[in-house]
Amino acid sequence: MGILATSSSGEGDDPSAVGLGHRTLRALHLDLLGRSPYRAERELWHGGVVGELVESILEGVECWEHWLEEQLYYFLLIDNFRPQSDSVRSLPEALADRRLDVRTALHRIALSPNFDQRNPGADTFVTVVMEQLLGIEVQRTPRELEIGKRVYDGHPGTFLGVRGSSQADVIRIAIEDERFFTRLLEREHERLLRVLPERRALKTWCIELDRDPSAYTNLIRSWLLSDAYRARLATRRELSNRTFVRSLFVDLFDRLPDQEEVRRLGGALDGLSDAGPLRSTLVRILLDSGQVSIPDREELPSRRAWIADLFPRFLGRAASAHELDTFAESFKDPACRSETVLYAILSHTEYATY
Amino acid sequence: MTLTRRDLLKSGAAAAAAGAFPASLSARTALRPELKTRHVLLVAFAGGIRTRETLGMPANVPTLASLAREGVVYSRTRTANLGHFGATMSLFTGVSEARGIRENARGPDPTLFEYLRKDLGLPASEVWISTSGGAQQTNYSHGLHPDYGTAFGANVLDGDGIFNSEFKTILESYGRPRILEPAESDLLDRMRQSLPGDEGDAQARATVEQYIMDELTRGTSELRGPNSADAKALRVARNLLSIFKPKLVSVVLQQADVAHGNFNAYVEVIRKNDAALGELVEAVRADPDLADSTAIIVLPEFGRDSDLNSRRGLDHGDGSDDLNYVSTVCWGPDFRRGAEVGETVRTIDVCSTVCDMFGARARFARGKRLPKLLA
Repeated sequence: MGILATSSSGEGDDPSAVGLGHRTLRALHLDLLGRSPYRAERELWHGGVVGELVESILEGVECWEHWLEEQLYYFLLIDNFRPQSDSVRSLPEALADRRLDVRTALHRIALSPNFDQRNPGADTFVTVVMEQLLGIEVQRTPRELEIGKRVYDGHPGTFLGVRGSSQADVIRIAIEDERFFTRLLEREHERLLRVLPERRALKTWCIELDRDPSAYTNLIRSWLLSDAYRARLATRRELSNRTFVRSLFVDLFDRLPDQEEVRRLGGALDGLSDAGPLRSTLVRILLDSGQVSIPDREELPSRRAWIADLFPRFLGRAASAHELDTFAESFKDPACRSETVLYAILSHTEYATY
Repeated sequence: MTLTRRDLLKSGAAAAAAGAFPASLSARTALRPELKTRHVLLVAFAGGIRTRETLGMPANVPTLASLAREGVVYSRTRTANLGHFGATMSLFTGVSEARGIRENARGPDPTLFEYLRKDLGLPASEVWISTSGGAQQTNYSHGLHPDYGTAFGANVLDGDGIFNSEFKTILESYGRPRILEPAESDLLDRMRQSLPGDEGDAQARATVEQYIMDELTRGTSELRGPNSADAKALRVARNLLSIFKPKLVSVVLQQADVAHGNFNAYVEVIRKNDAALGELVEAVRADPDLADSTAIIVLPEFGRDSDLNSRRGLDHGDGSDDLNYVSTVCWGPDFRRGAEVGETVRTIDVCSTVCDMFGARARFARGKRLPKLLA
């Protein structure tokens, strides 16, 4: 049985038909929505079919909201540089409805005033366009950079082989360049599958997307239902600070934090090379806030069963016998509160990875 | 307010902090016994700053000018326009790092923090970086070189990211966490230890956790003004030095980059950052544990263009000497006084120089030791 399943689907090797285990359920939510599943989602999808969950998520606006957040973070368009215009804010809905494609979406982001403010001046702007959109190392192409800077300043020139004479032309030329999809797919593949794509496959995908950019969703679906995604589930990576904050709120409050909470808490965690101490502080603050619904130890019909349920919920796996015995034994001590048990799990490095 | 380590310990983390700082308290002798220097403060006066607006106009930077008068100035320090991120990283690695301007990843080369920690066996508590530029700058902590890496990285704190009133308000809206009683703490440890994976240095983490909670109450969060992020980075550095007296504190400033759109705002940031640097230097001069044993090195990552752009601002990309040459100021008990070195040195020489002062070796750095520095 593959990693995707904790129960047999009886469907042979078809990954889309494999039954959903806790780990896959949690991983797909974290990858595609940037948060852990709500209680209702866990109840709905656990034991369900992977392909149906992927389909359901990809059809929703929330998936594209997360995609947009990932792109904005990639361009470091965060905090004061976060685009507020309708043309960018409306992107998730338009992407979910397939009224526009990812190339157009990234074009809009690059055209936003915030992108310009984030990258002020010809040198910085053209460098970022070449590096971030196309993956070009500008130090190796100083002549192209100089041409791009002249075009940015309104002078006619042939930038990356295409005529232009404005700042908007610099962006348009880059967006239409053949390296655009190569760079986008490299980083998206790395984000979702944790490895760079194989070169031949990448080339094929790029040709296809260049012809039909709307095929992007189908490509993502195929990745998520591939053996490569099963292999990725065997690896662990640290949650981004934003995803950690969002997941912690979902896991404790069964709701997302508001945008301001994510911005401030995520920003603070981003300010540390090792966010562990501050993550731990945040867990303690929330657990002791009195705002989380936590059963009192005396009210629990079975403390062992309560502990056993926490592991798949927060870590995406069952507790080992040793873990269950240690936790249950510790919980017998009156000094151990329900909060203490939760704190032990949520402040551990395993919770901060997926 | 002068802060002491005693203040921190009194505030609640005594046991944890004491356990986490044995080397910090005991390793007070220089590893090169012929030198008096035991602490180094390395300030990346970054964001792109020309010498014209600093030592070329001393009224803008009385603190820096004072350090220059009492120390050594390298007036022709060659640098490269690698973007703020790459050029600043180069100061720490001693290698010209061609990094993407918005790249948010660690570099391939070891940093001086890693060289010091590995060669001298220093704990993380001895090596800090205080930044003002957010998530990207936490990558200065360490590189990806297989011989070094995360185990030898510096503690990075971004002052503006953590010590801001909005973050403080959000935390306060949930209330302070309850203090764990020893029995509960023991049970917590027991449960954690049953889980797989390395917890790291739990005591050191507890100390950082406590320091952050304390710093949030000290007023750093309330700093305002056009250089507020830089001012917080300098304030955090001052408190770290005063409290922990680590071997190395680096500060990375950033806000002078406002110059792209506004020359006057750029000059204002320089003036205010110099004033904030002045508070830090005063704290060093006033502390008997630091005054005669601390070296200070200040330099930008690169300069700016010679001429104003169409917005009456200053970009960085014209290849001029204003961009490619900056001034490095070195002040400390072992350095010459009132000296100017006219020969060309490089910004990447700083890494090897600091390592050498501690008796460490920057094996992969391409820079050299700064010449004519020691008295």
